[in-house]
Amino acid sequence: MKTHKLYESATHTWFMFGRDPNKPDKIIDTNQYMVVTKENALLMDPGGIELFSSMLNTIIKSVPIDKITHLFASHQDPDIISSLGLWDQVLEDATLHSPWLWEGFIRHFGMEKITYSPIPDEGSSLSLNGVGIEFFPAHYLHSSGNFNVYDPKSGILMSGDIGAALDVDDAPLIVDDFEAHIPRMETFHRRWMPSNEAKSDWIRRVRKLDVQMMCPQHGRIFKGDDVNRFLDWFEQLEVGVLNAK
Amino acid sequence: MDNTFLVTATIVYHVDHAMQACKRLSITASNARALAIQAGDAAAGFRPLTDYINRFAIITKSSSHRINQLACDLSHIATEKDISDRAINHIEHVYRSAQAATYIHSLDPVKTRTKQRQKDLQHSYEEQLRELSSELNSLSDELRSADIVVTMSRIEALQAKGPHQNALNNVADNVEEVTASVKKLIDDAKRLVNRLKK
Repeated sequence: MKTHKLYESATHTWFMFGRDPNKPDKIIDTNQYMVVTKENALLMDPGGIELFSSMLNTIIKSVPIDKITHLFASHQDPDIISSLGLWDQVLEDATLHSPWLWEGFIRHFGMEKITYSPIPDEGSSLSLNGVGIEFFPAHYLHSSGNFNVYDPKSGILMSGDIGAALDVDDAPLIVDDFEAHIPRMETFHRRWMPSNEAKSDWIRRVRKLDVQMMCPQHGRIFKGDDVNRFLDWFEQLEVGVLNAK
Repeated sequence: MDNTFLVTATIVYHVDHAMQACKRLSITASNARALAIQAGDAAAGFRPLTDYINRFAIITKSSSHRINQLACDLSHIATEKDISDRAINHIEHVYRSAQAATYIHSLDPVKTRTKQRQKDLQHSYEEQLRELSSELNSLSDELRSADIVVTMSRIEALQAKGPHQNALNNVADNVEEVTASVKKLIDDAKRLVNRLKK
Protein backbone atom coordinates (compact mmCIF):
# COMPACT_ATOMS: atom_id res chain seq x y z
CA MET A 1 0.00 0.00 0.00
CA LYS A 2 1.25 3.44 -0.90
CA THR A 3 1.53 6.39 1.46
CA HIS A 4 1.09 9.98 0.32
CA LYS A 5 1.67 12.99 2.49
CA LEU A 6 -1.13 15.42 1.59
CA TYR A 7 -0.34 18.23 3.97
CA GLU A 8 2.28 19.09 6.54
CA SER A 9 2.51 21.94 9.00
CA ALA A 10 4.12 22.55 12.39
CA THR A 11 0.99 21.26 14.10
CA HIS A 12 -0.16 18.32 12.03
CA THR A 13 0.24 16.11 8.97
CA TRP A 14 -2.33 14.48 6.67
CA PHE A 15 -1.56 11.10 5.12
CA MET A 16 -3.42 9.18 2.48
CA PHE A 17 -2.98 5.38 2.16
CA GLY A 18 -4.15 3.48 -0.87
CA ARG A 19 -3.48 2.13 -4.35
CA ASP A 20 -2.54 -1.18 -2.75
CA PRO A 21 -0.98 -3.46 -5.40
CA ASN A 22 -1.53 -6.45 -3.09
CA LYS A 23 -5.25 -5.80 -2.69
CA PRO A 24 -7.26 -8.99 -3.25
CA ASP A 25 -9.17 -9.04 -6.54
CA LYS A 26 -12.84 -8.15 -6.65
CA ILE A 27 -12.80 -5.83 -3.64
CA ILE A 28 -13.22 -2.15 -4.30
CA ASP A 29 -10.09 -0.03 -3.98
CA THR A 30 -10.25 2.37 -1.05
CA ASN A 31 -8.41 5.43 0.22
CA GLN A 32 -7.64 5.65 3.91
CA TYR A 33 -6.63 8.88 5.61
CA MET A 34 -4.81 9.77 8.80
CA VAL A 35 -4.17 13.05 10.62
CA VAL A 36 -1.15 13.00 12.89
CA THR A 37 -0.64 15.64 15.57
CA LYS A 38 2.05 15.92 18.24
CA GLU A 39 0.79 13.06 20.38
CA ASN A 40 -2.18 11.58 18.57
CA ALA A 41 -3.31 10.16 15.30
CA LEU A 42 -6.81 9.97 13.88
CA LEU A 43 -7.28 7.15 11.38
CA MET A 44 -10.22 7.75 9.06
CA ASP A 45 -12.28 5.04 7.34
CA PRO A 46 -9.59 2.44 8.14
CA GLY A 47 -11.01 0.01 5.62
CA GLY A 48 -12.12 -3.57 5.34
CA ILE A 49 -10.82 -6.66 7.07
CA GLU A 50 -8.94 -7.65 3.89
CA LEU A 51 -6.79 -4.53 4.10
CA PHE A 52 -5.86 -4.79 7.75
CA SER A 53 -2.30 -6.17 7.41
CA SER A 54 -1.48 -3.78 4.60
CA MET A 55 -2.77 -0.87 6.64
CA LEU A 56 -0.87 -1.89 9.77
CA ASN A 57 2.21 -2.50 7.67
CA THR A 58 1.96 0.96 6.12
CA ILE A 59 0.99 2.94 9.20
CA ILE A 60 3.95 1.84 11.30
CA LYS A 61 6.22 3.35 8.69
CA SER A 62 4.78 6.75 9.65
CA VAL A 63 3.72 6.54 13.30
CA PRO A 64 4.10 4.19 16.27
CA ILE A 65 0.95 2.14 16.70
CA ASP A 66 0.13 3.50 20.15
CA LYS A 67 -0.16 6.97 18.66
CA ILE A 68 -3.45 5.97 17.02
CA THR A 69 -5.86 7.11 19.69
CA HIS A 70 -8.82 7.95 17.45
CA LEU A 71 -10.63 6.20 14.64
CA PHE A 72 -13.36 7.63 12.48
CA ALA A 73 -15.93 5.72 10.43
CA SER A 74 -17.97 7.94 8.11
CA HIS A 75 -20.69 5.30 7.98
CA GLN A 76 -21.31 1.59 8.47
CA ASP A 77 -20.20 0.01 5.21
CA PRO A 78 -17.79 -2.97 5.29
CA ASP A 79 -15.18 -1.25 3.10
CA ILE A 80 -15.15 1.55 5.68
CA ILE A 81 -14.86 -0.27 8.99
CA SER A 82 -15.15 -4.08 8.80
CA SER A 83 -11.55 -4.23 10.09
CA LEU A 84 -12.75 -2.85 13.43
CA GLY A 85 -12.55 -6.22 15.23
CA LEU A 86 -8.84 -6.43 14.37
CA TRP A 87 -8.10 -2.82 15.30
CA ASP A 88 -9.81 -3.65 18.58
CA GLN A 89 -7.15 -6.32 19.14
CA VAL A 90 -4.19 -4.05 18.51
CA LEU A 91 -5.24 -0.65 19.86
CA GLU A 92 -5.12 -0.42 23.61
CA ASP A 93 -6.78 2.92 24.21
CA ALA A 94 -8.70 4.25 21.24
CA THR A 95 -12.01 5.97 20.53
CA LEU A 96 -14.12 5.40 17.44
CA HIS A 97 -16.05 8.45 16.24
CA SER A 98 -18.97 7.43 14.10
CA PRO A 99 -22.62 8.37 13.49
CA TRP A 100 -24.82 7.65 16.52
CA LEU A 101 -27.25 6.01 14.12
CA TRP A 102 -24.89 3.16 13.36
CA GLU A 103 -23.54 2.25 16.79
CA GLY A 104 -25.61 -0.90 17.20
CA PHE A 105 -24.70 -1.99 13.68
CA ILE A 106 -21.00 -1.16 13.70
CA ARG A 107 -20.53 -3.05 16.96
CA HIS A 108 -21.35 -6.19 14.95
CA PHE A 109 -17.83 -5.92 13.50
CA GLY A 110 -16.52 -6.66 17.00
CA MET A 111 -15.54 -4.02 19.52
CA GLU A 112 -14.59 -4.67 23.13
CA LYS A 113 -11.74 -2.33 24.00
CA ILE A 114 -12.36 0.59 21.68
CA THR A 115 -14.77 3.23 22.98
CA TYR A 116 -17.61 4.29 20.70
CA SER A 117 -18.12 8.04 20.61
CA PRO A 118 -21.43 8.63 18.81
CA ILE A 119 -21.49 11.72 16.57
CA PRO A 120 -24.83 13.54 16.84
CA ASP A 121 -26.74 14.33 13.63
CA GLU A 122 -25.67 17.98 13.70
CA GLY A 123 -21.98 17.01 13.78
CA SER A 124 -19.29 17.64 16.37
CA SER A 125 -15.64 18.52 16.65
CA LEU A 126 -12.49 17.02 18.06
CA SER A 127 -9.34 18.73 19.25
CA LEU A 128 -6.13 16.79 18.75
CA ASN A 129 -3.32 18.62 20.55
CA GLY A 130 -4.98 21.89 19.63
CA VAL A 131 -5.76 20.93 16.03
CA GLY A 132 -9.49 21.29 15.45
CA ILE A 133 -11.16 18.58 13.39
CA GLU A 134 -14.84 18.86 12.44
CA PHE A 135 -17.21 15.98 11.82
CA PHE A 136 -19.29 17.51 9.06
CA PRO A 137 -22.82 16.13 8.39
CA ALA A 138 -23.28 14.43 5.03
CA HIS A 139 -26.40 12.39 5.74
CA TYR A 140 -27.89 10.39 2.87
CA LEU A 141 -24.67 10.86 0.93
CA HIS A 142 -24.84 8.00 0.69
CA SER A 143 -25.66 6.48 4.06
CA SER A 144 -28.58 7.73 6.16
CA GLY A 145 -26.13 8.52 8.96
CA ASN A 146 -22.98 9.90 7.33
CA PHE A 147 -20.19 12.35 8.14
CA ASN A 148 -17.21 13.93 6.40
CA VAL A 149 -14.13 15.22 8.19
CA TYR A 150 -13.10 18.83 7.71
CA ASP A 151 -9.87 20.37 8.85
CA PRO A 152 -10.22 24.20 8.61
CA LYS A 153 -6.49 24.79 8.93
CA SER A 154 -5.35 22.66 5.99
CA GLY A 155 -8.62 23.11 4.09
CA ILE A 156 -8.91 19.34 3.65
CA LEU A 157 -12.36 17.84 3.42
CA MET A 158 -12.37 14.05 3.70
CA SER A 159 -15.59 13.52 1.79
CA GLY A 160 -16.17 9.76 2.09
CA ASP A 161 -18.18 8.48 -0.86
CA ILE A 162 -18.88 11.97 -2.20
CA GLY A 163 -16.55 12.52 -5.12
CA ALA A 164 -15.76 8.82 -5.30
CA ALA A 165 -14.82 7.33 -8.64
CA LEU A 166 -14.54 3.79 -9.88
CA ASP A 167 -11.07 3.94 -11.32
CA VAL A 168 -8.21 1.63 -12.28
CA ASP A 169 -6.20 0.25 -9.35
CA ASP A 170 -3.10 2.33 -10.00
CA ALA A 171 -4.97 5.55 -10.87
CA PRO A 172 -3.15 8.85 -10.28
CA LEU A 173 -3.67 10.41 -6.87
CA ILE A 174 -5.03 13.75 -8.05
CA VAL A 175 -7.71 14.59 -10.62
CA ASP A 176 -5.78 16.19 -13.50
CA ASP A 177 -8.56 16.49 -16.09
CA PHE A 178 -11.95 17.07 -14.51
CA GLU A 179 -14.00 16.52 -17.69
CA ALA A 180 -12.25 13.23 -18.37
CA HIS A 181 -12.90 12.19 -14.78
CA ILE A 182 -16.69 12.66 -14.94
CA PRO A 183 -17.52 9.28 -16.53
CA ARG A 184 -15.70 7.55 -13.65
CA MET A 185 -17.96 9.28 -11.11
CA GLU A 186 -21.31 9.65 -12.82
CA THR A 187 -22.89 6.21 -12.42
CA PHE A 188 -21.54 5.92 -8.90
CA HIS A 189 -23.15 9.18 -7.78
CA ARG A 190 -26.44 8.63 -9.59
CA ARG A 191 -26.86 5.17 -8.09
CA TRP A 192 -25.31 5.45 -4.63
CA MET A 193 -26.53 8.90 -3.65
CA PRO A 194 -30.23 8.61 -2.91
CA SER A 195 -31.38 12.19 -2.27
CA ASN A 196 -31.24 15.35 -4.40
CA GLU A 197 -32.39 17.35 -1.39
CA ALA A 198 -29.57 16.04 0.83
CA LYS A 199 -27.10 16.63 -2.01
CA SER A 200 -28.15 20.29 -2.47
CA ASP A 201 -28.03 20.95 1.26
CA TRP A 202 -24.53 19.46 1.50
CA ILE A 203 -23.29 21.54 -1.47
CA ARG A 204 -24.72 24.73 0.05
CA ARG A 205 -22.88 24.07 3.33
CA VAL A 206 -19.61 23.00 1.68
CA ARG A 207 -19.55 26.20 -0.40
CA LYS A 208 -19.25 28.13 2.86
CA LEU A 209 -16.07 26.25 3.79
CA ASP A 210 -12.61 26.97 2.51
CA VAL A 211 -11.94 23.61 0.89
CA GLN A 212 -8.51 23.31 -0.71
CA MET A 213 -8.57 19.58 -1.16
CA MET A 214 -11.53 17.21 -1.32
CA CYS A 215 -10.50 13.66 -0.54
CA PRO A 216 -12.95 10.85 -1.34
CA GLN A 217 -12.76 7.27 -0.13
CA HIS A 218 -12.46 5.87 -3.67
CA GLY A 219 -10.66 7.32 -6.65
CA ARG A 220 -8.79 10.58 -7.01
CA ILE A 221 -8.42 13.70 -4.89
CA PHE A 222 -9.81 17.08 -6.06
CA LYS A 223 -7.49 20.06 -5.57
CA GLY A 224 -7.94 23.80 -5.96
CA ASP A 225 -10.44 24.79 -8.67
CA ASP A 226 -11.48 21.18 -9.21
CA VAL A 227 -13.24 21.29 -5.84
CA ASN A 228 -15.65 23.91 -7.19
CA ARG A 229 -15.88 22.12 -10.51
CA PHE A 230 -16.98 19.05 -8.62
CA LEU A 231 -19.57 21.02 -6.62
CA ASP A 232 -20.99 22.56 -9.82
CA TRP A 233 -21.12 19.20 -11.57
CA PHE A 234 -22.68 17.45 -8.55
CA GLU A 235 -25.25 20.26 -8.20
CA GLN A 236 -26.72 19.64 -11.65
CA LEU A 237 -26.55 15.85 -11.39
CA GLU A 238 -29.83 14.10 -10.72
CA VAL A 239 -29.14 11.41 -8.11
CA GLY A 240 -31.16 8.53 -6.75
CA VAL A 241 -31.57 7.17 -10.25
CA LEU A 242 -31.35 3.49 -11.11
CA ASN A 243 -31.39 3.55 -14.93
CA ALA A 244 -30.00 6.91 -15.98
CA LYS A 245 -30.55 7.73 -19.65
CA MET B 1 -8.73 -29.45 14.41
CA ASP B 2 -12.16 -29.60 12.76
CA ASN B 3 -14.13 -26.47 12.14
CA THR B 4 -15.26 -25.69 15.70
CA PHE B 5 -18.24 -23.61 14.61
CA LEU B 6 -19.63 -26.36 12.44
CA VAL B 7 -18.94 -29.07 15.00
CA THR B 8 -20.50 -27.15 17.92
CA ALA B 9 -23.53 -26.30 15.76
CA THR B 10 -23.88 -30.01 14.97
CA ILE B 11 -23.58 -30.89 18.68
CA VAL B 12 -26.33 -28.36 19.44
CA TYR B 13 -28.42 -29.96 16.67
CA HIS B 14 -27.99 -33.45 18.19
CA VAL B 15 -28.71 -32.24 21.70
CA ASP B 16 -31.78 -30.35 20.51
CA HIS B 17 -33.12 -33.57 19.00
CA ALA B 18 -32.35 -35.40 22.24
CA MET B 19 -34.41 -32.78 24.10
CA GLN B 20 -37.32 -33.31 21.72
CA ALA B 21 -37.09 -37.04 22.32
CA CYS B 22 -37.17 -36.41 26.08
CA LYS B 23 -40.44 -34.53 25.70
CA ARG B 24 -41.88 -37.67 24.13
CA LEU B 25 -40.46 -39.68 27.02
CA SER B 26 -42.21 -37.41 29.54
CA ILE B 27 -45.51 -38.02 27.75
CA THR B 28 -44.79 -41.75 27.73
CA ALA B 29 -44.14 -41.63 31.48
CA SER B 30 -47.49 -39.86 32.11
CA ASN B 31 -49.36 -42.33 29.94
CA ALA B 32 -47.62 -45.26 31.60
CA ARG B 33 -48.56 -43.94 35.03
CA ALA B 34 -52.24 -43.66 34.03
CA LEU B 35 -52.09 -47.14 32.56
CA ALA B 36 -50.48 -48.61 35.66
CA ILE B 37 -53.22 -47.10 37.82
CA GLN B 38 -55.90 -48.54 35.53
CA ALA B 39 -54.23 -51.95 35.54
CA GLY B 40 -54.20 -51.92 39.37
CA ASP B 41 -52.50 -54.86 41.08
CA ALA B 42 -51.80 -56.51 37.76
CA ALA B 43 -49.22 -53.80 37.07
CA ALA B 44 -48.14 -52.96 40.62
CA GLY B 45 -44.45 -53.35 39.73
CA PHE B 46 -44.83 -51.00 36.80
CA ARG B 47 -45.76 -47.92 38.85
CA PRO B 48 -42.33 -47.20 40.39
CA LEU B 49 -40.85 -47.67 36.93
CA THR B 50 -43.00 -44.83 35.55
CA ASP B 51 -41.50 -42.52 38.19
CA TYR B 52 -38.07 -43.62 37.07
CA ILE B 53 -38.91 -43.01 33.40
CA ASN B 54 -40.15 -39.54 34.27
CA ARG B 55 -37.07 -38.80 36.37
CA PHE B 56 -34.89 -40.02 33.54
CA ALA B 57 -36.68 -37.68 31.09
CA ILE B 58 -36.19 -34.70 33.46
CA ILE B 59 -32.49 -35.45 34.03
CA THR B 60 -31.83 -35.89 30.31
CA LYS B 61 -33.68 -32.69 29.51
CA SER B 62 -31.78 -30.59 32.04
CA SER B 63 -28.45 -32.15 31.08
CA SER B 64 -29.23 -31.45 27.42
CA HIS B 65 -29.89 -27.81 28.35
CA ARG B 66 -26.48 -27.58 30.03
CA ILE B 67 -24.77 -29.31 27.09
CA ASN B 68 -26.49 -26.91 24.72
CA GLN B 69 -25.24 -23.91 26.73
CA LEU B 70 -21.71 -25.34 26.99
CA ALA B 71 -21.61 -25.93 23.23
CA CYS B 72 -22.81 -22.36 22.55
CA ASP B 73 -20.19 -20.95 24.97
CA LEU B 74 -17.54 -23.08 23.28
CA SER B 75 -18.53 -21.64 19.92
CA HIS B 76 -18.35 -18.12 21.37
CA ILE B 77 -14.83 -18.73 22.76
CA ALA B 78 -13.84 -20.22 19.39
CA THR B 79 -15.05 -17.02 17.68
CA GLU B 80 -12.97 -14.82 20.00
CA LYS B 81 -10.02 -17.14 19.53
CA ASP B 82 -10.41 -16.97 15.78
CA ILE B 83 -10.30 -13.15 15.88
CA SER B 84 -7.26 -13.28 18.15
CA ASP B 85 -5.55 -15.88 15.89
CA ARG B 86 -6.23 -13.68 12.88
CA ALA B 87 -4.82 -10.62 14.65
CA ILE B 88 -1.64 -12.58 15.48
CA ASN B 89 -1.35 -13.78 11.88
CA HIS B 90 -1.66 -10.19 10.64
CA ILE B 91 0.88 -8.90 13.17
CA GLU B 92 3.36 -11.66 12.29
CA HIS B 93 2.86 -10.89 8.62
CA VAL B 94 3.71 -7.24 9.35
CA TYR B 95 6.87 -8.30 11.23
CA ARG B 96 7.95 -10.33 8.21
CA SER B 97 7.11 -7.77 5.56
CA ALA B 98 7.91 -4.47 7.27
CA GLN B 99 11.08 -5.26 9.19
CA ALA B 100 12.59 -1.93 8.20
CA ALA B 101 9.55 0.15 9.18
CA THR B 102 10.53 2.98 11.50
CA TYR B 103 8.04 2.07 14.18
CA ILE B 104 7.98 -1.74 13.81
CA HIS B 105 8.89 -2.15 17.48
CA SER B 106 5.83 -0.22 18.56
CA LEU B 107 4.09 -3.50 17.74
CA ASP B 108 6.11 -5.47 20.33
CA PRO B 109 3.73 -4.85 23.27
CA VAL B 110 0.77 -5.41 20.93
CA LYS B 111 2.18 -8.79 19.92
CA THR B 112 2.88 -9.79 23.54
CA ARG B 113 -0.61 -8.75 24.61
CA THR B 114 -2.34 -10.50 21.72
CA LYS B 115 -0.28 -13.68 22.22
CA GLN B 116 -1.27 -13.71 25.89
CA ARG B 117 -4.93 -13.28 24.97
CA GLN B 118 -4.61 -16.09 22.45
CA LYS B 119 -3.10 -18.29 25.17
CA ASP B 120 -5.86 -17.40 27.65
CA LEU B 121 -8.53 -18.14 25.08
CA GLN B 122 -6.89 -21.46 24.21
CA HIS B 123 -6.95 -22.34 27.91
CA SER B 124 -10.65 -21.36 28.21
CA TYR B 125 -11.41 -23.35 25.08
CA GLU B 126 -9.78 -26.49 26.47
CA GLU B 127 -11.54 -26.04 29.84
CA GLN B 128 -14.89 -25.62 28.13
CA LEU B 129 -14.28 -28.67 25.97
CA ARG B 130 -13.42 -30.72 29.07
CA GLU B 131 -16.62 -29.58 30.77
CA LEU B 132 -18.70 -30.39 27.70
CA SER B 133 -17.12 -33.81 27.47
CA SER B 134 -17.75 -34.52 31.15
CA GLU B 135 -21.41 -33.46 30.89
CA LEU B 136 -21.90 -35.73 27.88
CA ASN B 137 -20.26 -38.62 29.76
CA SER B 138 -22.57 -38.10 32.76
CA LEU B 139 -25.56 -38.20 30.47
CA SER B 140 -24.21 -41.35 28.83
CA ASP B 141 -24.00 -42.99 32.26
CA GLU B 142 -27.63 -42.08 32.89
CA LEU B 143 -28.55 -43.58 29.55
CA ARG B 144 -26.87 -46.83 30.52
CA SER B 145 -29.19 -47.12 33.50
CA ALA B 146 -32.10 -46.56 31.10
CA ASP B 147 -31.34 -50.00 29.62
CA ILE B 148 -32.17 -51.56 32.98
CA VAL B 149 -35.46 -49.63 33.07
CA VAL B 150 -36.34 -50.94 29.61
CA THR B 151 -35.58 -54.53 30.65
CA MET B 152 -37.58 -54.16 33.87
CA SER B 153 -40.47 -52.61 31.94
CA ARG B 154 -40.51 -55.64 29.67
CA ILE B 155 -40.50 -58.05 32.62
CA GLU B 156 -43.28 -56.11 34.38
CA ALA B 157 -45.32 -55.98 31.15
CA LEU B 158 -44.97 -59.75 30.79
CA GLN B 159 -46.07 -60.27 34.36
CA ALA B 160 -49.09 -57.97 33.99
CA LYS B 161 -51.45 -60.43 32.47
CA GLY B 162 -54.78 -59.44 31.05
CA PRO B 163 -56.07 -56.60 28.87
CA HIS B 164 -53.31 -54.12 29.83
CA GLN B 165 -50.39 -56.28 28.79
CA ASN B 166 -50.23 -55.00 25.23
CA ALA B 167 -50.41 -51.37 26.32
CA LEU B 168 -47.63 -51.92 28.88
CA ASN B 169 -45.55 -53.62 26.22
CA ASN B 170 -46.06 -50.58 24.04
CA VAL B 171 -44.76 -48.37 26.86
CA ALA B 172 -41.65 -50.55 27.14
CA ASP B 173 -41.19 -50.35 23.35
CA ASN B 174 -41.59 -46.59 23.45
CA VAL B 175 -39.04 -46.17 26.26
CA GLU B 176 -36.62 -48.42 24.44
CA GLU B 177 -37.04 -46.56 21.19
CA VAL B 178 -36.63 -43.09 22.74
CA THR B 179 -33.65 -44.01 24.90
CA ALA B 180 -31.97 -45.69 21.93
CA SER B 181 -32.42 -42.55 19.84
CA VAL B 182 -31.18 -40.27 22.67
CA LYS B 183 -28.23 -42.60 23.18
CA LYS B 184 -27.33 -42.41 19.51
CA LEU B 185 -27.60 -38.62 19.50
CA ILE B 186 -25.42 -38.31 22.60
CA ASP B 187 -22.87 -40.82 21.25
CA ASP B 188 -22.69 -38.77 18.05
CA ALA B 189 -22.20 -35.61 20.12
CA LYS B 190 -19.41 -37.33 22.09
CA ARG B 191 -17.70 -38.36 18.87
CA LEU B 192 -17.86 -34.75 17.68
CA VAL B 193 -16.34 -33.49 20.95
CA ASN B 194 -13.54 -36.03 20.59
CA ARG B 195 -12.86 -34.67 17.11
CA LEU B 196 -12.46 -31.20 18.59
CA LYS B 197 -9.98 -32.53 21.15
CA LYS B 198 -7.63 -33.76 18.41
